[in-house]
Amino acid sequence: MLDLRRLAAVWPAVVAAVGAAGLLLLGLSIAGVDPGEAALTAWRGAFGSWSRLAVTASEAVPLVLCGLGAALALRSGTWNIGLEGQCLLGMVAAIAVLVTMPPGAAACAVGLLAGALAGAAWCGIAVALERTRGVPLVLSTILLNTVAAMLLGALVQGPLQASGSAAPETAVVPEASRLAMLASPLHVGAVLAVILAVVSWLVQQRTVLGFELTVAGRNPEAARFAGIPVGLRTLQAALGSGALAGLAGAVQVAGVTWFVSDGARSWGYAGIAVALLARLHPLGVVLSALFFAGLAVGARALERRMEVPHDLGVIAQGLAVAAVLLAGALAARKRT
Amino acid sequence: MNDWLVVILLAQALVAATPLVLAGLGELVAERSGVLNIGIEGLVLAGCLAGFATAAATGHPWLAFAAAIGTGSLLALAFGLMTVYARCDQIVSGLALNLVIIGGTGTAWSVMQTHGLTTMVPGSGFDRDWCGGWGVDLPLIGPLLFRQYGLTVVVAILALVTAWILARTRLGLIIRALGDEPDACAAAGVPVRRWRLLAVVGAGAAAGAAGAFLAIMRTNSFVPMMSGGLGFIVLALVMFGRWRVGWMISGCVLFGLADATQQHLQSQAGANRLPYQVWQVIPYATALIVLALMRRGRAGPRALGQPW
Repeated sequence: MLDLRRLAAVWPAVVAAVGAAGLLLLGLSIAGVDPGEAALTAWRGAFGSWSRLAVTASEAVPLVLCGLGAALALRSGTWNIGLEGQCLLGMVAAIAVLVTMPPGAAACAVGLLAGALAGAAWCGIAVALERTRGVPLVLSTILLNTVAAMLLGALVQGPLQASGSAAPETAVVPEASRLAMLASPLHVGAVLAVILAVVSWLVQQRTVLGFELTVAGRNPEAARFAGIPVGLRTLQAALGSGALAGLAGAVQVAGVTWFVSDGARSWGYAGIAVALLARLHPLGVVLSALFFAGLAVGARALERRMEVPHDLGVIAQGLAVAAVLLAGALAARKRT
Repeated sequence: MNDWLVVILLAQALVAATPLVLAGLGELVAERSGVLNIGIEGLVLAGCLAGFATAAATGHPWLAFAAAIGTGSLLALAFGLMTVYARCDQIVSGLALNLVIIGGTGTAWSVMQTHGLTTMVPGSGFDRDWCGGWGVDLPLIGPLLFRQYGLTVVVAILALVTAWILARTRLGLIIRALGDEPDACAAAGVPVRRWRLLAVVGAGAAAGAAGAFLAIMRTNSFVPMMSGGLGFIVLALVMFGRWRVGWMISGCVLFGLADATQQHLQSQAGANRLPYQVWQVIPYATALIVLALMRRGRAGPRALGQPW
């Protein structure tokens, strides 16, 4: 099953990761920070011990889910760059359920489901605008991201604000409704994420549905000619990716933060980068999400130990995406 | 007459529309030549930071303005090399550009804070009276024409020039043809990639200048993520304007009016009973609704987003 040619297809991603890391370390050494020590500190902070690994893995969970969503959409040729907004809507729906329903496992399950549905619905708005009014998905999803962020901000200082609190924050999820811990801060959501990754992979590789999705994305004309319902398949992919992004937000609320406050997040945007680094392979998404989470956690360790700003992690993510693209372009040039 | 609400709102709408038109002109030309740059949001943000940092460090307004334009151009050059010459996907490259700039400006801002570079040297910004205060008290045209930033006037002229170039000159014909039929351009001996790269870099310069407007003219300050979706709105406005200068500018002014109204409503008594986001969302919601209500018209340049 593992043949050499498929292994060779991985090299652009590896080159990309190494190249981006090298560029960053070069920047650090220019800024007067010892790059070797910085790399070691970041590595230890992200992967150095079991407890650090648990932190990184927990950070990777929303990235895996958003990454799976992005991979699903991109494979079907759908430019859903609204994962960010869909993720925020998932958080809103989940917290609304989790703080109102009687505490218990049922509340947790319903909360996650509500998050997924809210994400799918938010994406559905964009798809409906494209299908009925011709508004490009790229545009509507970007605008809907901003609207979602403002909606979340308005809700956490309006109807969802904790009673008696002055800060723009919701009430805290009761303990019985939270996701169970595997090894704090790693929660059961991680298992869910891995299962969903395997399921995505099986659907993509082993089912007619997955095959039709891929063909519809690669060549819609040919797909239509072969009798594949392209419109339906891309709709399914879009809604599925929205649901995964919404679930990412819900899992984060039920497993990590336990409340929602106003402020920026970026799992949705990072999810696209995660999917691209994994070259849209569902199992690769898990590894690539761990890499991205490692960057973020490592950057925070750098900030604590060596007073390097943690935004460096975001630069690294952007560079990784750019490097993947360039490596891919290079590979394409060699082939022709 | 000058304290009528209509006049105040219109004058404010022109201020709000200036960065939109500026960045929009650049993006429009780039898209006409066939390159879609989602990273324009990041380019505006980079312009904000470069302008503010230079103004805070040196106190020279013109140097700060030049720094913003230079930063926007350089980053756009990197994007152009990636998309035009290396033929990378334009949407993904734009997303990567945004990530790098969000991280980069965040990092730079942390460094600036530790060095105490958080306020501008007094007098290193631009004032809102391009005629040196002359004519400000004239009825109606005073607030609308004379109590404006110099850049607003420059942008108005730039818009006329761009519209004329696109519609009436050989250069304009080339730009339009690049986005519709790059193969035909190449056959006619036009260096497709070189022209596209130029359009992208020009758009970057415009986006950087728009960022400078936000940082060293309109607010005289910097906050992380201060571009706040302006670049994304520009993308929507270019599409709303059907890739035509006149229509795009109408969209920008309408949007500016919505923004001015939103700010006015927010400052009214009793407005704080609602969360401020309810007001802030108005322009974005308007953009979506207008796009949805618009009749399906001419699609964009045929080769938009495709590497050549």
